[in-house]
Amino acid sequence: MEKVGKMIVHIVLLYIIFQFGNWIQRTLHLFIPGSVIGMMVLFILLSTKLIRVSWIEEGANYIVANLAFFFIPVTVGIIDYYDLFLGKGALLILIVLVSTMLVMGGSGFFSQWLMRRKGWEHE
Amino acid sequence: MSEFVIAISAIIGTFFIYHLAIRIHRTWRYSLTAPVLVATILIISVLIIFRIPYETYMVGGKWINELLGPAVVALAYPLYKYKDTLKQVAAPILAGTLLGGVVGITTGLLLAQWAGFESAIVYSLTPKSVTTPVAMAVTDTIGGVMPLAAIFVMIAGIGGVLMHHYVFRLFQVNHYLGRGVGMGSASHAIGTATSMEVSQLEGAVSTISMVISAVVVSIITPSLVQLMM
Repeated sequence: MEKVGKMIVHIVLLYIIFQFGNWIQRTLHLFIPGSVIGMMVLFILLSTKLIRVSWIEEGANYIVANLAFFFIPVTVGIIDYYDLFLGKGALLILIVLVSTMLVMGGSGFFSQWLMRRKGWEHE
Repeated sequence: MSEFVIAISAIIGTFFIYHLAIRIHRTWRYSLTAPVLVATILIISVLIIFRIPYETYMVGGKWINELLGPAVVALAYPLYKYKDTLKQVAAPILAGTLLGGVVGITTGLLLAQWAGFESAIVYSLTPKSVTTPVAMAVTDTIGGVMPLAAIFVMIAGIGGVLMHHYVFRLFQVNHYLGRGVGMGSASHAIGTATSMEVSQLEGAVSTISMVISAVVVSIITPSLVQLMM
């Protein structure tokens, strides 16, 4: 029970930082989402020790390990658009998949090749 | 009152189905059984079978969605934890992600144009590799349709999760660095979620790639589009 309480406190803290990120985005009219700004803010706060790791650790670990859970409502939303991909629209899915494959393979291969070539590898 | 009951059922139902999906993935470890895929398919099936509209599901779903923000903020923790390791591989991560950004925009544009789609659709498809809010903003700038852009982002995310085993085998990507860069560049946060299920280090690389990719794509897309259209 104590662990759950701790986790809730951690998540509330993460939520406050998220809202702070949103505020920065609105005030400065940035194109980067508030959540990503919040991520950078938390990184800076951790690096400068203004926030201790122990204040967010359990909550962050739990969320990060279960990140997929938070996407489910969004991905279920595809249900409203299935008719878009009937007929010629199906070709659009294929195009997105082929392009995604090339991005994934190309960027992954290139970074791995660079790392091994320059001897950056370490395990 | 009934709204409250709907919300609670949707949240508990999603939670339950997600854990069921994790169990399924532990038993059969394939790309096809990635928890986000299985859970999405199961929930869509439930909605279809019981004729529940998506808006009704979202009465509860929006609360889970609300936590997506702090969930992304939480990604700073693995970044911080592995910051020394990540610093040493910053150059290959950056170079790989830059290449990924250019490949994503150009191949998306060329293929959709070649297939003969109207320009509004082509523009909506172009920024699909980056996280939804950024992709929608970019699409708006170059003259695409925002909701359509959000769907393509989702297909890039889910599709990447579905294909990553085969893609990495095909391109001989086997190191956490290459895998993380590939997942983050091609499939944004949905890819990062899957990387985090492998290891926090791969997930941290994926997080960095996702963020760099969002910045790069939003800056270079308008000029690349002008150059190619």
